[in-house]
Amino acid sequence: MPKVKIPRKSTAVDMTAMCDVAFLLLTFFILTTKFKPTEAVQVDIPPSVAQFPLPDKDILKFELAKDGKMYFGLDDQNTRLNLLNTLDETYKLNLTPLQKDAFRTLDIWGMDIKALPAFLSLSATDRAAFKQPGLNIDTLGGEHQVEDLILFSRQANNNLRIAIKGDRATQYKDFDKLIVALKNRKVNRFNIITSAKAPIVVK
Amino acid sequence: MAEMDTSSKGGGKHGGGKRAKKGSTRVDLTAMVDLGFLLITFFMLATTMNKPKTMEINKPIEEPEDNKPPEIPMSKTLSLLLGDNDKVYWYVSPDEVTSTTKIEMDSIDYSPNGVRRIIKRRQKEVMEKYGADKKDELFVMIKPLPGSKLKNTVDVLDEMSINDVKRYAILEASDAIDSLVAKQVGQKRK
Repeated sequence: MPKVKIPRKSTAVDMTAMCDVAFLLLTFFILTTKFKPTEAVQVDIPPSVAQFPLPDKDILKFELAKDGKMYFGLDDQNTRLNLLNTLDETYKLNLTPLQKDAFRTLDIWGMDIKALPAFLSLSATDRAAFKQPGLNIDTLGGEHQVEDLILFSRQANNNLRIAIKGDRATQYKDFDKLIVALKNRKVNRFNIITSAKAPIVVK
Repeated sequence: MAEMDTSSKGGGKHGGGKRAKKGSTRVDLTAMVDLGFLLITFFMLATTMNKPKTMEINKPIEEPEDNKPPEIPMSKTLSLLLGDNDKVYWYVSPDEVTSTTKIEMDSIDYSPNGVRRIIKRRQKEVMEKYGADKKDELFVMIKPLPGSKLKNTVDVLDEMSINDVKRYAILEASDAIDSLVAKQVGQKRK
């Protein structure tokens, strides 16, 4: 009897197409996503049923940490520079071009405006390690630093939308200070940043 | 898993002549695919896919002369005092205060059985008193006390949109009844 030999086929699959797909997806993800911005403090935002997505640009962001400390951030680098120039004049900071450049890349910060030059002179790693004390919201001594920030930023960019990113455990009294500052600058509309949540339905 | 040369010619015998073996030009791509998917996974996990949502708040524009809230009959209102420890105190101010006036008040929580039930109840009461088409007339006064958390305010504002309350405002707890209630329950008002 003749032996029937079944030809052994290779188990290897052609991987070229799969490889193409994988890298195509990878390119897509790299191009479409935005990395999480640096945070001065960790803020655990409250959940809400609100559906309105946060716009991509023209955002003035206040961050309110759990302990009531407040931080300030602008999304656009040109607006940041315009703001800094006004601050430089008003508060007589005498900034160097190097310090201004450091401010341009600063996503979020929170300290007394007069402490900014010293902070901006630090190296990038020292800045990241520096524990920021939060904005000076006291209106004592005739200074209204937070109100000035709101005013000057809006002068730098008229279309700014004000977003407040507060920790869910921030006490209302700290939140209220910011609201009062906004109200004094005639800002009656602002957004609270929340995370999505489905409403609990009870029949 | 090394790639095998599958392009051999039918397994036939060819006569003897020794030829230099032609190396396959195919490269094993398995490792590259692995790497590709690993990077995809990394990017998917490291980036924020869902954009944060926002809740828009419109504060009434304050006019210098009249600091008073608009005149609404108190029986159309509901006051919610947000205290610390996730407590809400609700009451309905009477239209007129006389010596026999009793104010109904209670402490509730943020669960659907708390705030939502009271809002629904008040909506019904307003409808009964002022007519079935007046459901939207209910005016909710949200008065966060200093010790309440931001989450509490957001939760209550959520309830406004869930229950379709058209009129509400965040106010200061400056009313006489507010201070009375706050004192009664041991919450700081300032």
